[in-house]
Amino acid sequence: MDIFNQLGSIIVGLFQSSGLTSLSWENYVMILISFVLMFLAIKKQYEPLLLLPIAFGMMLVNIFPGIMANPVNQMMTYEQVIAQGLDPASYTTSSQLMTLEQLKTAGFDPTLYHLVTLKDGSQFYEVIYYNVTANGGLFYYLYQGVHLGIFPPLIFLGIGAMTDFGPLIANPKSFILGAAAQIGIFLTFIGAILLGFAPHEAGSIAIIGGADGPTAIFVTSQLAPEMLGPIAVAAYSYMALVPIIQPPIMKLLTTKKERSIVMGQLRPVSKLEKVLFPIVVVVLVALLLPDAAPLVGMLMLGNLFKESGVVERISKTAQNELMNIVTIFLGITVGATASGTLFLNFKTLGIIALGLIAFCLGTACGVLFGKIMCWATKGKVNPLIGSAGVSAVPMAARISQKVGQEENPANFLLMHAMGPNVAGVIGSAVAAGVLISVLK
Amino acid sequence: MDNLTLALTLLLAGFTIVFLVLILLIIVITVYGKIIQAAQKSSEKRKAKKIEQAAPAAASPEAAVPEVLPANNDEIPGEIIAVIAAAVDAVYGNKPHKIKAVRRSRSARSSWGNAGVAQNTRPF
Repeated sequence: MDIFNQLGSIIVGLFQSSGLTSLSWENYVMILISFVLMFLAIKKQYEPLLLLPIAFGMMLVNIFPGIMANPVNQMMTYEQVIAQGLDPASYTTSSQLMTLEQLKTAGFDPTLYHLVTLKDGSQFYEVIYYNVTANGGLFYYLYQGVHLGIFPPLIFLGIGAMTDFGPLIANPKSFILGAAAQIGIFLTFIGAILLGFAPHEAGSIAIIGGADGPTAIFVTSQLAPEMLGPIAVAAYSYMALVPIIQPPIMKLLTTKKERSIVMGQLRPVSKLEKVLFPIVVVVLVALLLPDAAPLVGMLMLGNLFKESGVVERISKTAQNELMNIVTIFLGITVGATASGTLFLNFKTLGIIALGLIAFCLGTACGVLFGKIMCWATKGKVNPLIGSAGVSAVPMAARISQKVGQEENPANFLLMHAMGPNVAGVIGSAVAAGVLISVLK
Repeated sequence: MDNLTLALTLLLAGFTIVFLVLILLIIVITVYGKIIQAAQKSSEKRKAKKIEQAAPAAASPEAAVPEVLPANNDEIPGEIIAVIAAAVDAVYGNKPHKIKAVRRSRSARSSWGNAGVAQNTRPF
């Protein structure tokens, strides 16, 4: 009979500790949302490399919130330890001397403690505390890479090792378009302030307009870590939706004649120029804007690995293994910040709406500046390459190519659009530096 | 209202700083691009002169390809030979060179296998 009783209590205990009794409705809604995101990642292939781990992390944390739990380091009295059902013998102790008044204000029973008489004759009660510690959940530790701003610069290292800045070096004027597309960030900031967001939150929302996932996560982890979940999901969703969001704006703002402009071939870029480029950029940007140094510095370090040609193995590791490992950790832990109560509120709706506006404004500003450049060069620049100034490498450049080719099938804008595209990465890192230095 | 002032200031500051930094980059990159191009052109001219003096009879790779064909036992198609000649040219560049024959290498390992072994055994 005893066996059956124990079996019964074990089953009841398991049921009580399971998610079935402790989860709130928000958790269930979030689990459903994670299913939708997984569907989008697997079936529709929307940025699956990030969306899949994000969605899975989101699901896990809502089923088992303890996976993201902070480590505990608490001082408990003997009675509290017993009340929690813990074993006092397994913890270290520390003691504190208290006067009778202090003991009473703390709500402790004086009869339970030793009275100690010091050499000067004063009397104190000796209260013994147990240092109760518990480790945090798995994702808590992995999340430190995001929380401390370690992962996004590491991803930038890989991006740098994969990026060819040749088109930008061949046509440095592309930097203007990369800068123009960042205006959307600052315009959205005003919108977010008008909607009632606090300045640090508004900065994190506005950076979605940079269309650069790691930058958005880096800025948010510095300014408003509690909004990381919704912002990461919004940023990566919009990057996946570039082919749907950008073309209508590009067509609206340009004439058929402008769209069919054929641009001349880019000049070849020598190896020496490519090797010097990352060094020059880092020296300039990091000197002028130290807050952008972690992102731009790692981006250019990766690029120097690639272009120097002497550290092929490191370059390969940065673009493949390291990048993949960091992407996994970044994805699951960013997803794990989206617990039900934090995600399901009106702020999230505001973030998603403002993020879209930021993205559209960035695209529009890029195209408008493309038009200005077209006018200034007397029709030598196709304004369509301006929309590639939002980062989203290389998707945004491919869209410029596609929209251009719809008008003139023999027109190849891809390499011309890669210039503003990679300039956009540097531009959004600089914009991130401005936001952090002003708002932090 | 205070926040709105901050927002407008940030718009102006952000706009100015982002453009200033990137325009500075444009200037620097244009300038050093021009310097490097000029330097390389002059050094190329010097090299070309040297080559002319040292080896006036050096065959250009285009001229080398037709010479190769008889040395090849018809097993290797012309396109492949053209690619190999181009690769040789890319490696040797301006140095005088001549392809005498193109033969298939007989090795226990495939060339992909050899490449893999080389990559894993090359010292760091």
